[in-house]
Amino acid sequence: MEIDEIKKLALDLKFALSDDEARDIQNDFSILDKKLALFDKIDTTNVEEMIYPFDVETSFLREDTVGHYLSQDEALANVAKVKQGHVVVPKVVK
Amino acid sequence: MKIQDYLNTDYAQKCREAYNKAKAIQDKTNATITFIDPQKRLNDKLEGRLKGVAIALKDNVSTRDIKTTAASRILDNYIPQYDAHIVDLLNKEGAVIIGKSNMDELAMGGTNLTSYFGLCHNPYDLSRISGGSSGGSAVLVAANVVPCAIGSDTGDSVRKPASYCGVVGVKPSYGRISRYGIIPYASSLDHVGYFTTNVKDAALMLEVLSGRDDRDMTSSYNPVENYSELLNADIQDKKILIFDNVLAAINNSEIVDLFNSLVTALTDKGAIIEHVSFNDDLLRAMLPAYYIIANAEATANHSNLDGILFGHREEGESTDDIMINTRTKGFGPWIKKRFVVGSYALFEENQERLFRKAQKIRRLIVEEVLSKLKDADILLAPAAPGAAPLIAGQTTDELSDESLIADNHMVIANFGGLPSMTVPMGYIDNLPIGVNLTANPFKEQVMFDVALAIEEYTGLGGAVKEVL
Amino acid sequence: MEYDVVVGLEIHLELKTATKMFSSSPYAFKDPANSDTGEIDLAHPGTLPCVNKEAVRKAIEACTALNLTIDPLIRFDRKNYYYSDLPKGYQITQQFHPIGRNGYIEIFVDGKYKKIRINRIHMEEDTAKQFHLFDETLIDYNRAGVPLLELVSEPDMASGEEAALYLEKLRQTLNYLEVSDVKMEEGSMRCDVNVSIKAKGSEVFGTKVEIKNLNSINNVKNAIDYEAHRQQKCLENGEAIIQETRRFDEKSQTTVSMRKKEGSVDYKYFPEPNIFPIRLSEDFIADIQKNMPELPDAKFKRYVNDFGLSDYDADLIIANKNLCAYFDEIMQEKVNAKLTANLLSSELSGILSKNNLSFADNPISAHHFAALVKMIDKGEVSSKQGKEILNEMLKGEDPESIAKEKGMKQLSDESAILAIVTSVLDDNPQSISDFKNGKDRALGYLVGQVMKRSKGQANPKLANELVTKELAKR
Repeated sequence: MEIDEIKKLALDLKFALSDDEARDIQNDFSILDKKLALFDKIDTTNVEEMIYPFDVETSFLREDTVGHYLSQDEALANVAKVKQGHVVVPKVVK
Repeated sequence: MKIQDYLNTDYAQKCREAYNKAKAIQDKTNATITFIDPQKRLNDKLEGRLKGVAIALKDNVSTRDIKTTAASRILDNYIPQYDAHIVDLLNKEGAVIIGKSNMDELAMGGTNLTSYFGLCHNPYDLSRISGGSSGGSAVLVAANVVPCAIGSDTGDSVRKPASYCGVVGVKPSYGRISRYGIIPYASSLDHVGYFTTNVKDAALMLEVLSGRDDRDMTSSYNPVENYSELLNADIQDKKILIFDNVLAAINNSEIVDLFNSLVTALTDKGAIIEHVSFNDDLLRAMLPAYYIIANAEATANHSNLDGILFGHREEGESTDDIMINTRTKGFGPWIKKRFVVGSYALFEENQERLFRKAQKIRRLIVEEVLSKLKDADILLAPAAPGAAPLIAGQTTDELSDESLIADNHMVIANFGGLPSMTVPMGYIDNLPIGVNLTANPFKEQVMFDVALAIEEYTGLGGAVKEVL
Repeated sequence: MEYDVVVGLEIHLELKTATKMFSSSPYAFKDPANSDTGEIDLAHPGTLPCVNKEAVRKAIEACTALNLTIDPLIRFDRKNYYYSDLPKGYQITQQFHPIGRNGYIEIFVDGKYKKIRINRIHMEEDTAKQFHLFDETLIDYNRAGVPLLELVSEPDMASGEEAALYLEKLRQTLNYLEVSDVKMEEGSMRCDVNVSIKAKGSEVFGTKVEIKNLNSINNVKNAIDYEAHRQQKCLENGEAIIQETRRFDEKSQTTVSMRKKEGSVDYKYFPEPNIFPIRLSEDFIADIQKNMPELPDAKFKRYVNDFGLSDYDADLIIANKNLCAYFDEIMQEKVNAKLTANLLSSELSGILSKNNLSFADNPISAHHFAALVKMIDKGEVSSKQGKEILNEMLKGEDPESIAKEKGMKQLSDESAILAIVTSVLDDNPQSISDFKNGKDRALGYLVGQVMKRSKGQANPKLANELVTKELAKR
């Protein structure tokens, strides 16, 4: 993978990489590639993905009654910038 | 230190001592991120099975009104507005929490070298790592500060540091302990775990921490047994499988010898020993599969860390800039690496050959271990191929069998949600080395029983290492 | 060159539940900002989703009403993207296994019924609300996590009109189901449209254009019509149609290109690891289906077949949910349906609106209304008198008392009317001979006199009968 590609991947995840960091990851990818070669040795035809540690179903559903939630103060306690009870960010352009 | 030491004593005094001792060893070990003065809690009327017992919590356990950082800069000012479920349980049983312990950043690591607050030192040799990601908790128990500390285990993050620090480390079955309030790493692999100095305490802690929590939709309905009461070191006719692939991949003959002596002792106690071998190719693929699944899930899990609603917000001209600056400055370099790889595996064009392939390999591995354990009780192997490595960087060949198999085999229990624990096995060059037991899902009782038998043989129950 | 217009609709519905999709926080449209949130909705680290039973119930009701096949195993997935209104950085949705598939609804267009197929219905959660000021954006997370149902139609509609009819029919059905407030102006029902055109009769679909920001059924209709026309003009001018997202500008009634996105977004969908698959038992589903409210189509059949109402009258009643409920309540007393329908739509509606009341504020109890219908039906009061009584009933009194007070009770006692008839005939010999001489108008005059002498209370039909009878005897 190219350094630029890696930097773009990072930006899509909303963080920036320095050239050194990108180069480091480039290196990691090549080690990963070798590790992934080990994947190819495993025949997974007709094998279903395992999403959870157990193949178990649940039948639990939560009753629709108001329970615990936070006051406006508690909800905003960790927010850096607040105005009239709202969270403030620079103008968002879609 | 044992839990028993607190019960029916002047626990207030002991709690204060624990708190002060944690502070005293901080310079040498860096085991704690946030100290919690127990005075306020000691003013409460305490009742329960952990009445007055000092406990430390890994700093990924949410504690209401107490800073919870997951050892990351991005959360270095985050104050939860709620308690994790296990904190409710601990409080209900009278425990006294004296600190939030150090860990690898966002629990993503096996060394505790990646913490924003600096690395953790091993009480047995301060120039060595504690192991991770639950390094601080392992150290606080090993250094005789608290009888119990909570950690989390996604790939072996309780069981490996337990081996390096010479303590008992438990990862129960998936869903046995509620994850509500635990800052996640990889949701389908995360388990709440804990450290103690002896098996009896470990059994008691499971009783306290287990049980159905409706807020966690992966929480188990399985009944919680009286593990500590039912503890029985009689392992006559218990079937123990020896994990040959791991043994074969360990280059340190001392460890192999220690392990074989243990196996002989277990045989003498009446256990039925059988050797098992897994498909080597499958085992080698296990770590890469883990890496892909864990990092993919982690990347998604931490998409909420952007500075807007909580955490350390950096400034920016646009909201996008704020997110980017916050995350760039907030995450350590190892985290960024893992995110890039993890998200790469989730792209539509890559998912089939990476993420989903890894999930299929997961199934093959779990099927194999379950089929072997079907008519047996325990899978046994050394917990690590060596003692705690030196802090001053040792490079490992990441593609060797030692790395892929011997160093990382405990991932099997995360893949399949099987209960697994590490207990001290002995010492090499005065450094601890542990043995790892894995049982069938929700068969913690037999796991504790065999662990107790091992503890009786080694005589290492309660072993600690004073730092000062 | 003639073109076929191809339209598909994607609808998002806010479900009317007490709490959110994955948390037990409440939600009300007008609550103060950030006062209806909990740590789960704010995506605080360590929180886990917990599925709302009522949201699942409502999803099942919607699937049943719209003829979808229900998947009894509920599975969720993550849709990953970063945006300021999405606290987790992913939305929990049902990408791979929607709760319902392959349904339909029928619209009545061009004199016949047309089936519009519904490809899928799935559950997901809503995002926060943003208010864009001059140089800042304010975010209110109350709405974050509210349960949403997404309904995706097949591209079966061929015009703005058909789309509007589809929306109307959906709205009405879902309104009766009580699963959502379905108010486009409030955002509890949102609609995105996909429009393309193709050569008439061709099997090859054209390039799809998405239109967003449509906040009324009328705008949906106009946007589609404009867009179809625009695309046609494009092709006629030899221009290719660009696959893009446009918004509808209400003022100019045109669609306008939105900022183009660089390439399509990869949402990296993968199964939600924090929620085990949820198995819905057959009993659970059957129980929900059994207790569903009666839907408009069923009501229509019942009103026309069982009550003998005309299609028009049936539609009129069903068009207003409160009126319809009122009608159903009245009909529990098994009174004359046609008379009731008539009285409701032609009289009560007028009376209520004159007094600035809606059907929701109607102070007349169903029981009293039924009593009035009975009185008119039995002939105890005339329909003209009935209207007067109805007006008085606004104050809360029952019709019998009002009739009594106003001395309105119609005279239906035959002997009493006969007595009046006799006396009128005795007093009007000239009219009798006029009638015998073929002057039919004299009959009307005599009946009028009977009515007058009874102070208007004689049953007119009976009076006419008796006068005719007595005339024959004389």
